[in-house]
Amino acid sequence: MSLGQEAGAAPAPTARRGGQSWRRVARDTLVGYGFMLPFLVLLVVYHTWPVLFGTYLAFTKYNVISPPEFVGLDNFRELAKDSQFWEGVRNSLRYLIVVPVIQLASIGVAMLVNRPLRGIAFFRTAYYVPVVTSFAVVGLIWGWMYQQTGPVNWVLTHLGLMKEPHSLLNNPSSALYAVMFVTLWKGIGYYMVLYLAGLQGIPRELEEAAVVDGASRWQVFWHITLVGLRPVILVCSLLSTISAVKVFEEIFVMTQGGPQGSTYTALFFSYAKAFQDFRFGYAAAAGLVIAVISLAFGVINFRLTRGGKADA
Amino acid sequence: MTTAETSQLRARRRARARLSNGLAYAVLIVIALIMLYPFYWTVITSLEPTGSVYDPKLLPNGVSGRNYSAVINGTSVPFWRMFVNSVVICTLGVTLSVTLAALAAYPLAKMRFPGRDLIFYAILALVVLPNEAGLIVNFVTTRKLGLLEQHAGAFGPLLNMVSQYAAIVLPSLASIVGLFLIRQAYLSVPLELIEAARIDGAKELTIWRRVMLPLAAPTIAAFAILEFVAFWNSFLWARILPLDPQMLPLSAGLLELSGTFSTNSRAVMAGTVITIIPILVVFAFGQRYFMKGLEGAVKG
Repeated sequence: MSLGQEAGAAPAPTARRGGQSWRRVARDTLVGYGFMLPFLVLLVVYHTWPVLFGTYLAFTKYNVISPPEFVGLDNFRELAKDSQFWEGVRNSLRYLIVVPVIQLASIGVAMLVNRPLRGIAFFRTAYYVPVVTSFAVVGLIWGWMYQQTGPVNWVLTHLGLMKEPHSLLNNPSSALYAVMFVTLWKGIGYYMVLYLAGLQGIPRELEEAAVVDGASRWQVFWHITLVGLRPVILVCSLLSTISAVKVFEEIFVMTQGGPQGSTYTALFFSYAKAFQDFRFGYAAAAGLVIAVISLAFGVINFRLTRGGKADA
Repeated sequence: MTTAETSQLRARRRARARLSNGLAYAVLIVIALIMLYPFYWTVITSLEPTGSVYDPKLLPNGVSGRNYSAVINGTSVPFWRMFVNSVVICTLGVTLSVTLAALAAYPLAKMRFPGRDLIFYAILALVVLPNEAGLIVNFVTTRKLGLLEQHAGAFGPLLNMVSQYAAIVLPSLASIVGLFLIRQAYLSVPLELIEAARIDGAKELTIWRRVMLPLAAPTIAAFAILEFVAFWNSFLWARILPLDPQMLPLSAGLLELSGTFSTNSRAVMAGTVITIIPILVVFAFGQRYFMKGLEGAVKG
């Protein structure tokens, strides 16, 4: 997209009176940069600089007190042999299970709340409440809910999904899944809103015409709804793939990587190296590797969601 | 087809619709329970005076305000202080981030000057560049800027307070999402309106305030609500900074409390309930704007 071609954008200064238009450009330049200055200063300090300095730090040894010392690829060599880091990466990749589950669930929920039922606005709002609450609050609440005598254990044992109740976050075999469920629970409403917008963009006549032509519900869903949603699915699954690989906040609040490292994720490794061990260079190197991994999975995800269709 | 047949067909279709609506409601209600019960359970448990804390329940086994008074009066850092911190951080954060984005979006949407497109694409690129070391570098920057230093003297406490608020708020003030949202809203403002104001001799700042801002008001409101929620909820940065304990905002302070107050989970629950209420109020009133902002943020 070119800026000048967008609707309503300022047209190129005309050359009708050369002197005046030159003055106009000079004035616009001055005023324009003046308007952008405060924003740009903060953007450069807190967004651009971290990208540049963070990349540089990855090749240094740095503990904040003494200046960074350039060490070449040492950090990456050490990372390659660091089993704790790769265990973290493995847990982050396990977290990708959330992606298809959350996408299917939110498409289903979006189709439900897209029905013209009485009181449907209440349900939409209700499903969105977890999205607007802080992970600090949500993590604490689920921490209590997961206690041995708590409601989650009650439900799981009564449904026969579990024999003995146990503290779900303190058990290495269940902790990661317990945290995943919170991510799912908090995220469904977010994707629901996006899918809802997507559903409302699909012309109703299309579905009605298909029904008149004798298409079954399943066929309508498969050939019209899903096809119409494909651009939204692409965006949503990309977003959730990247945030799954980079999962951190819920781990930080709920388990701090425990028990026995069962929820120790890649980004948690980076955090711990920086703020617990004060190895900022090593932490930045881990961050860079995580960026590459999440990019790779973003690309894979992109291929998968547009795959199989020539027109996509 | 006879009329009897058509009415029979219609009745059957109506019955099927009723069944499918009934099923839909059943599923909707089950999901709503999963989404809301944790909050409800926290509220009723926080009201209970005694008993085993984590039991599943539908009604509290008693109602008292003692957990609320415990969390409000019984913490080492006064709870009201954390509430005030959150209010200050939110107010500063929302007003400044909205103002900065609304200012910066104006030339990007409505002026022509060298470097404009370059800046726009540079900002766009920031969204996709790797920023995993963001926390680390911003921590270093905040230290280097001296925002975490302790000041002595008569104005010491005041200076400490101001600089620590700045340390918390500054990194999130330049919002790229906000810039895009507001720029998009500005693009649809007719150029003739701006030209007419210019011919009348209005200064650019006046045009911005009197023409651009009012016309972009719905978008700005949406962005302001998104920012309020983001600032009220953010806790990670404040937890990582070595702040004075009395500078913590609510969401970060709660995590601190859950450690020091672990013997009294009900009091911490009371704290979480108080923390959620402002968000729910703002969300209830601004829901329409909020959804609009969210959709715009992803599309833009």
